[in-house]
Amino acid sequence: MVSAIYILIAALGAAFFLGFLKDGMRATAFAVTLAALVFMNFVSAGWLWSFAVDAAAPVEILTAGFSPPFAINLRMGLTEASLTLLVSLSGLLSALYLKDVLLALGRRSMAVLLIAVMALCGIILTRDTFNLFVFFELASIATAGLVLLSEDERALSAGFKYMIVAQAISVFLLIGIIFSYHATGTLNIDGMADASTELKTGASIAFFLMFIAVVAELKPFPANGWALDIYESAHPAFSAIFSAASGAAFLYAADKLLHIGGAAWFPLATGIGIITFVAANLLALPQSNDRRLLGYSSIAQTGLVLAVLGQQDILGDRYLFVAGGLLLAHSIAKAGLYWLSGLIAGRALPDWAALRSRPLLIFAFIVFIAMLSGLPPFPGFYAKWELARLLAGDGRIALLALILFGALLEAGYLFRWFGYILKREQPAQPVVCTPHKLAPVIAAVAAGWALGYLWGDLSGHANLLLTVPLLFALSFLLLEWLPAWIKNTLAIAGMLAFFVLTYAEYDPLRLIFAVIILIGGPVIFLASYHEHGRRLGFYPAAMLMFAGLALLIRTGDSFGFFAAWELLTVGSYFLILRGKHSEPHALSYIVFSLGGAFLILAGFALAAQGAAQYDLASLGLLTQPLAPWVFMLLAIGFMTKTAAIGLHIWLPGAHGEAETDVSPMVSGILLKAGLFGLFVLLMSMGKQQLYGIELTHVLLWIGALSALLGNLMAIFEEDAKRLLAYSSIGQMGYAVFGLALMNHLGWLMALMFVINHYIYKSMLFLSAGGVAKRTGTRDMYRMGGLITLMPLSFIATLIGIIAVSGVPPLSGFGGRWIFYNAILTSDARLPMVVLFFAGPIAFLYLFRLIHTVFLGQLKDEHRKLKEAPFWIILPQMIFVVLLLVFAVVPGLALRRVDIYLNQFFPEGGLNWAGTTISSNYGYWNPVAIMIAVAVIFGSLFAWLLFVNRKAQKVKQFNIVFAGERPYRPETTHFAWNFFAPYRKALGFMVQPFVTRFWEGLTNLLHVAADLSRRLYNGNGQSYAFHFIAFVVVVHFLWTGV
Amino acid sequence: MIYIAMATGFLLILIGFYGALTNRNLLRMIVAFSIADTGVNLVIISVGYLPGRTAPILDTTVTAAAAATRIIDPVPQALVLTAIVIGVGITALMLAYALKLYEKKRTLDIAKFTELKW
Amino acid sequence: MEFDWMKIPYALLTLFIVVNYGFLLNALIQKIAARVGRRHGIPIWQNYVDILKNYGLRSSITHGAMFYLGPVFRLSGGVGLLLFVPAIYGSYMFSNLSFAGDLILALYFIFFGTLGMALGAGESGHPYAAIGVSRGLSQVTTSELPLALAVFSVALQYQTLSVTEIVAAQQGGILNWTLFTNPVAVAAAMLSFLGSMMRPPFDVVLAPQEIPIGPPTEYHSSYLALMQTNRALFPVAKIVIYMNLFFGGASDWPTFFLKVFLIYLWSAFVGVVFPRFRVEQSIRWFLIWAVPLGILSIILV
Repeated sequence: MVSAIYILIAALGAAFFLGFLKDGMRATAFAVTLAALVFMNFVSAGWLWSFAVDAAAPVEILTAGFSPPFAINLRMGLTEASLTLLVSLSGLLSALYLKDVLLALGRRSMAVLLIAVMALCGIILTRDTFNLFVFFELASIATAGLVLLSEDERALSAGFKYMIVAQAISVFLLIGIIFSYHATGTLNIDGMADASTELKTGASIAFFLMFIAVVAELKPFPANGWALDIYESAHPAFSAIFSAASGAAFLYAADKLLHIGGAAWFPLATGIGIITFVAANLLALPQSNDRRLLGYSSIAQTGLVLAVLGQQDILGDRYLFVAGGLLLAHSIAKAGLYWLSGLIAGRALPDWAALRSRPLLIFAFIVFIAMLSGLPPFPGFYAKWELARLLAGDGRIALLALILFGALLEAGYLFRWFGYILKREQPAQPVVCTPHKLAPVIAAVAAGWALGYLWGDLSGHANLLLTVPLLFALSFLLLEWLPAWIKNTLAIAGMLAFFVLTYAEYDPLRLIFAVIILIGGPVIFLASYHEHGRRLGFYPAAMLMFAGLALLIRTGDSFGFFAAWELLTVGSYFLILRGKHSEPHALSYIVFSLGGAFLILAGFALAAQGAAQYDLASLGLLTQPLAPWVFMLLAIGFMTKTAAIGLHIWLPGAHGEAETDVSPMVSGILLKAGLFGLFVLLMSMGKQQLYGIELTHVLLWIGALSALLGNLMAIFEEDAKRLLAYSSIGQMGYAVFGLALMNHLGWLMALMFVINHYIYKSMLFLSAGGVAKRTGTRDMYRMGGLITLMPLSFIATLIGIIAVSGVPPLSGFGGRWIFYNAILTSDARLPMVVLFFAGPIAFLYLFRLIHTVFLGQLKDEHRKLKEAPFWIILPQMIFVVLLLVFAVVPGLALRRVDIYLNQFFPEGGLNWAGTTISSNYGYWNPVAIMIAVAVIFGSLFAWLLFVNRKAQKVKQFNIVFAGERPYRPETTHFAWNFFAPYRKALGFMVQPFVTRFWEGLTNLLHVAADLSRRLYNGNGQSYAFHFIAFVVVVHFLWTGV
Repeated sequence: MIYIAMATGFLLILIGFYGALTNRNLLRMIVAFSIADTGVNLVIISVGYLPGRTAPILDTTVTAAAAATRIIDPVPQALVLTAIVIGVGITALMLAYALKLYEKKRTLDIAKFTELKW
Repeated sequence: MEFDWMKIPYALLTLFIVVNYGFLLNALIQKIAARVGRRHGIPIWQNYVDILKNYGLRSSITHGAMFYLGPVFRLSGGVGLLLFVPAIYGSYMFSNLSFAGDLILALYFIFFGTLGMALGAGESGHPYAAIGVSRGLSQVTTSELPLALAVFSVALQYQTLSVTEIVAAQQGGILNWTLFTNPVAVAAAMLSFLGSMMRPPFDVVLAPQEIPIGPPTEYHSSYLALMQTNRALFPVAKIVIYMNLFFGGASDWPTFFLKVFLIYLWSAFVGVVFPRFRVEQSIRWFLIWAVPLGILSIILV
């Protein structure tokens, strides 16, 4: 094994050697630089291999022939090896990326780059405080030098600002070191750690100065204006090093100091770290410059890792796993993003829309933001899970809450940015893409996936990258070159095959969900045959969502559940974003969903109480006072997906603006994930009380209000798909209500809604989508009279609305009948009043839907329309049949579940004698109803045919009209603002209070952030003042505590 | 005596910081930091000083055997040497920056270099 | 399942009786209302004349399939509603199709005709029809609410959803009627009743007397005949539910005729006294006056 000191020697030697080269020999100089960096990588990688694979012991490297404390010693261990590899690899890739710049500037710039990488490696390797100082200074000098690589003239002032602060930092550091030396008699880090009890007290000013100086290099809030300026103005390749490598090295330095100071100083690290994390993410919100935004994010992530460093007392042997996962995910992603930013000409965030011409780069961007947001299957996800588990296990709830809040903010602006990329106008300048600039980005992507695999392996849970559904979904990434219909066939076949292989494993309840997901999904996918071309990005996203759904219903432990939840969230986000005008809606969807996911994470973490494995079934064993809180967190989390009122504002836009075949997927299938979660939750936890309030009772109210307000909002909607989306809010409200009833029939009713809603909402969305495709609008009042042109779509809608409204003889009635029977056994009567009110309101929007689109006056521009495309009609017809079948024999699906539910509620099941279904209160015979209605209807129809056989079809305007002859369909079609009187009477109930609340909240955050970031006024002196004030304030707070 | 040196050192540091924070001229700021650096060096020296001992140089008067009892702590001295070297390097770099900045905007006022902010 | 085929002629008999009774009752009520207004009113057989005239009309047009089906839906709704509820308590002969479902079936089946009718009217393309539907649907959301609450209250009271069992529980004296055992629920339901009878003050949906408006605008000849039949059938069918739930049901036809007449009279009584509400006014009226009673009834029960 090559001694680690050669990492430093190689860089130094090469830098010296460059000085001897003639200025003209730039290519040689560049080759030497690369060679040195490759060598450094090679050494680090060699060590990493021996530590990780061969489990070698850490090695001390002595210098000057003495052992410490008489000479400086370096140490190479697992952490050091990984970090030096990270540093030298980012150095190498950045050097490659900088090829043009370095060749233009000559050997000196290459030498500075080498010194920078060397200094950072030195910081990582050294075990001597003063040596640490020296490497610090080297790093600052090299940083100041490399800032000048940028073409941006403003980098000059940024570099100077940095120098000012670096000077102040070095003063504190030196004083701290010398007094620590005075106190312990040694400069050696391990020596100090052993020698001094004084430094460990938490009151030692010497250690404080040393520590705060190192922390200052981590750009703590608010003493970080200088760093932001560097991030904004420096060359992106340097920013990549500055963010990924410097951050890692300085964090490790902070870790070393914490080793000296011991546990008494942990809270300080945590405090500074978490404040930085939250504040930087908050201040990033109004940011419009891409590199500065990344700077804020970088600072935030460093803060997070610093906070984790301060938690090592509870992290135990998972410390490296957590801190490493977060750090590596951040470093790789941030380096990758900075490298990407070098390919973009414009600096505003929407300029990144240029990436659209390069799908590969979009994929890279997705990988990077997924890593930053801690989404599966990347290391940050596993780290976040472990961190949450251990924090909650030790009762550090406030910290956990702050971390999750900050992470949500970060995900918010990252995904907003992604929305810009896909949806904003592409700028004139294309992406400049040369191989040496592309290679680092690709390398970062590859590293991200590799680490994802590694962390999955180390996680102690199932490695997500080895689960069949996820692999299947990811394999579509490789199949993107195929035409859409082949991919569609593969997707359908894959899902059906998975169902066939696994269907024996589900209990009756899960089987219902499995059928909806794995059989129902393919039915909707039939509509996707309509799309031609390659349909880039659709299949990976859709299959990711279905993979998440499939994993969700199959998993038994909380980790798997949460991972699946995040997968389906991300997949559906990409799906929803595909809609033409989906940008803002997809954003609010992902923010709400991630917010909900974080609540679920917190809930599981709280419930687990630190246990590594936690089965969902164990939720039932929880006791007061923890149980209700867990219940609440999980329930709210699940209700972000069911779009319960208050958390619903994302849904109308997300479902309404989605593509024709996506709307039924996200509405008919995805919403059920939330219900499934609630099922699981209530099955294991049952009723919970918080401060004497029955939480299921609260759920009843939420369900009832969702039903009422969802329905009310739907009737005032002019857009057909949005109307259906609002109606989903109402329908989900019914289902939540049913679940919250906590009795046998309530659950059966919820399940009935699960099935029904899947069928009719998918059908209606397809129908509305097909019509919108033909007419080119979704505004219902622009349509009218389409019944003769699109009879099949009309039939689907007709059957759909009869089913939704619950009118017999279709299956919606079954849901209503079970509902009435269910509430008879419940004591909660007031929420039922609300639900009673909600019921008939459904008629309003349903009638409006069918009337304004298919009935009334046909518009001139629509006279030549054809029926919706075959592939969109086909699944609708399948749904019509399904609906009729389910209406006549609901027992097909419900009977087994009814029996299954007996284990939870032995009382109150249904009797299935013959074709009659009866409860303790009433009875219902779907077959008899169907026959009776058919016979009555048929006879009367026949009678009318007989007496009215000569009826003549008349033209459109042949109507009795007072005094004039109508000739314009626009003025004759009564459609717009159809329920005007209703708005007059009850419009006050649909004032967008909730929307205003959330908008107000986000505006508040933005305004607060926009005001606060003016702190960074750009003046180097102010930054120096910030730093000194930071030190003073932290000291007083710290000693005051 | 030691305390006077140490107090002077701290005073210099404070003067340096005060100067750096109140002078908007780049060159004056650099000078102020040099003063602070000097103060730091003074503090380091004063920490390592032991009354009644000689400089940590081994020669005929101070043998290696007797060094432990006769010389002051050599480590801070070594540190100061390094610190001075580094300080010089940083000062030089800052001066170079100041020159470049002046060339760009024909001013040395730090408050004029605020294009990067928020 | 064994089906007793004799039920079919029995059901047709019920239908026959109720339709004829409905024709006469409608005319009678209209006559009463006219007399209150110091007018002479229509002859009692007017509805028979009308229906014959409608069937006899030679002009016959259609606006399309849904338009054609509208009246069929409408009348099916009325017939179904009547047949799904036992007409005469304790009589197998007139229990009709009540084996198919309970009270909930009847309540939801009310909408079957309404919905189909509205769809048919919609296809006529006449804006007045659509306006009428809009008004009607708006009003029905709140006017049906007190009834739903009252029904729920009654179901809770008797712990059953079976109409037959509810009637059974009210036997044995007038004081056993829901009217006396659960007066609040009955009050709520009777206020709701006003809203569904198409009489003032809640008749803006059809707005008779003025320009033709409402779903029937474009309907004529045999369509109108079908609808007219329903207009005779439907109120009676609905009143049967009220009678069964709140007024002890009827165990023979004379009681049936009397009770239905009296309940119908209640809406006529109110109708001749009060002027017409606009839709938003009636929505508010039901929410303010009737719904609280309904809520009270399910809390008290």
